[in-house]
Amino acid sequence: MEYVLEMKDISKTFPGVVALDHVQLQVRPGEVHALMGENGAGKSTLMKILMGIYTKDPGGEILFDGKPYNASNPKEAMDMGVAMIHQELNPILDMTVYENIFVGRELRKNGLVDKKAEIEEAQKLIEECGLHVSPRETLRNLTVAQCQLIEIIKAISINAKVIIMDEPTAAITEREVELLFEHIHRLTKKGVAIIYISHRMAEIFSICDRVSVYRDGRYIGTDDTANLSEAQLIKMMVGREISDVYPKLEADIGEVIFEAKNIVRADNTVKGVSLAVRRGEILGIGGLVGAGRSELVEGIFGIHPLSSGEIFVKGKKVKVSSPQDIIKEGVALITEDRKVTGLNLSGTVNDNIAMVAIKKLLTNGLYNKNKAYKASQEYIEKLNIKTPSVNQIVGNLSGGNQQKIVIAKWLLNEPDIIILDEPTRGIDVGAKRDIYLLLGKLVQQGKAVIMISSEIPELMGICDRIAVMCEGNYSGEVKREEFSQERIMTLASAITV
Amino acid sequence: MKETKRINTLISEYFIFVIFIALVIVLTCLKPSFITPGNLVNILKQASINGILAFGMMFVIVAGGFDMSVGSTVAFTGILAAMLGQGDYPLIVPLIVAMLAGLAVGVVNGVGVAVGNLPPFIMTLGTMTAVRGLALVVSKGKPVIGISAEYKAVAASSFCGIPMLAVFLVIIIAICSFVLSKTVYGRRVYACGGNLLAARVSGINTTKIRISTFAIAGLLAGLSGFLMTSRVTIGQPTAAESYEMDAITACVVGGVSMSGGVGKPWGVVVGCLLITVIANGLDIMGVSSHWQRIVKGVIIVLAVLIDIKGKSKKN
Repeated sequence: MEYVLEMKDISKTFPGVVALDHVQLQVRPGEVHALMGENGAGKSTLMKILMGIYTKDPGGEILFDGKPYNASNPKEAMDMGVAMIHQELNPILDMTVYENIFVGRELRKNGLVDKKAEIEEAQKLIEECGLHVSPRETLRNLTVAQCQLIEIIKAISINAKVIIMDEPTAAITEREVELLFEHIHRLTKKGVAIIYISHRMAEIFSICDRVSVYRDGRYIGTDDTANLSEAQLIKMMVGREISDVYPKLEADIGEVIFEAKNIVRADNTVKGVSLAVRRGEILGIGGLVGAGRSELVEGIFGIHPLSSGEIFVKGKKVKVSSPQDIIKEGVALITEDRKVTGLNLSGTVNDNIAMVAIKKLLTNGLYNKNKAYKASQEYIEKLNIKTPSVNQIVGNLSGGNQQKIVIAKWLLNEPDIIILDEPTRGIDVGAKRDIYLLLGKLVQQGKAVIMISSEIPELMGICDRIAVMCEGNYSGEVKREEFSQERIMTLASAITV
Repeated sequence: MKETKRINTLISEYFIFVIFIALVIVLTCLKPSFITPGNLVNILKQASINGILAFGMMFVIVAGGFDMSVGSTVAFTGILAAMLGQGDYPLIVPLIVAMLAGLAVGVVNGVGVAVGNLPPFIMTLGTMTAVRGLALVVSKGKPVIGISAEYKAVAASSFCGIPMLAVFLVIIIAICSFVLSKTVYGRRVYACGGNLLAARVSGINTTKIRISTFAIAGLLAGLSGFLMTSRVTIGQPTAAESYEMDAITACVVGGVSMSGGVGKPWGVVVGCLLITVIANGLDIMGVSSHWQRIVKGVIIVLAVLIDIKGKSKKN
């Protein structure tokens, strides 16, 4: 039997939308199989059908281990040997490691939970994974990467033959990524197949054996990654050639417009960092996850208290005790997690765009819906936001479009300094490129951009300078003409004395 | 095709309204006396105090909070109004004092929640208990009698055939709807409830907004206390028991999301009328008040269930 999983001729229609149009997927045992495609291509719908979260339309079939497979909920899918590690992990934070591993299929003795057996079993699994945590530890005290490994352990413990990993590297550090890849190799050696979803090109080529590409709900093709180049893969995904993935627009660089001096945060996650950015310039902030980059910009923005530091906007010293103080001076912060700190997900596109600069949408001091609609419409066109209408609930839009709405709500306030924290995380190639071009246009208008990113190629692609942080400290700066991956990585992992 | 789709979305959007109309039709068929002008006026009168409280509650819930204390506040401010409404002072005095006392309770709630970071449920559970005690202390545990004829007339009188209580309700509905949908403040209340962190990062003073929503609920509870004393003509320290639940019910039935950020003023109006009509309809059909509670509970759950089903079909 060649395939462990075969999905043939699968369709899924939602009212008014064809999400999947006769697509297929064939996964071999022991391979890492990448699913690629832009947001809305149908990857997650396909996986949700596999997990029994959605029911497929009549017709088509799924074969698992050569036998017909039909899961009507995730529990059934897991019982049959398919497990999924979600992009947004959903562990029960206040429960312990062993409880999380066995939740929903608790080991029993005389009808009661057999705590002792669970702990023993969990200990064994944890050791096999080379993880150093106690089974009795609560998940709240673990890092994201550790929680992810617990999920993987859970998948192993149910003897899953196919494990789906949705953007598993989005929130973990480089070192943890390597560890994750080791675990993946161990699993595939045992014959477990991994379905791997990621927007990070480099990962696809380094870890995946084969790749299946989808576009607009249609199946485009499957090939060995060894036979493909990055450009070919992108062409399959977007349907056209994208010559430059990181477009860089030329802009005149002017005077220093924003300066932060010796920023120290009260919780000591940032220990004395200074930076300055000029008009027309894109300044990157590089470093590993946990280096204190988000903490730095959130401190500057008044979201968390500083114990010392000075902030100058357009030469004027600004005292920042809350975000209002710095927004007033023309600074915007597009935060890292759009769902947690960026959007009102239950609100409409319009509600969200009006969140910051509502004062611009008034007539005689009152909120003017027409003005708000017009403004939203303008930004929908300008930023190429794909939404049925300005009244669409933002929670129903794709990640890339949500991100553009966060940017739109700030642009409406006409800021001069725009700080972006991981603006392209989890969004597709096309939307990423839109954002790079937008940043380029903003600096051409004499604004300044500060961008945090964990993807070094992205920083090298569009920034004029990159400041690197490490463990809460400033560890150095690289100019565009000196850009090199090694240089940045060295600074990012510099051991401070 | 497109037309039917549009009608379908309209129906699911205004489903609770459809349920309300259906209920009115059913009641009219069962008991034609239901639809008489006299009874309709009566319904408005019965809906008024709960309606005013429901709009205060709406501010709190839309901003992501919850207020258990309004019933106690109504009782407490009702006592104050009764003590000051004996004819010694102009009527404006008990009104202002009742509203200020309500406002004070609301501000305490708001500060506890927004500054002290207490869960709204816990904070207002505390004030609910304490303010009820305050009402008992101030009244020495006895009903306060002897309010002036002028004060009694506030609730008993009518304006162009519409009872004054209903006039108050309409004014409050108009002001609250306007504030919520038209002012910057109103939009920010929605933003806070939709995502508090995002609102804060967007430069909204979330502390101030949250305190103010509790303050509005308290203020309106004070107004309700004043009106209730006029209606029942005495100040009762044990009055208005579980009024907060009726207010919350009106909001929830009217489509206000308990997780905040979602809710339309007209929905609360319908929600409030719906539960009043249920009570009134059962009354005129002669159903015992014990059974009424059961029927009310079932209808509330069913109405919201159908509403949710209708909405999820749309998506």
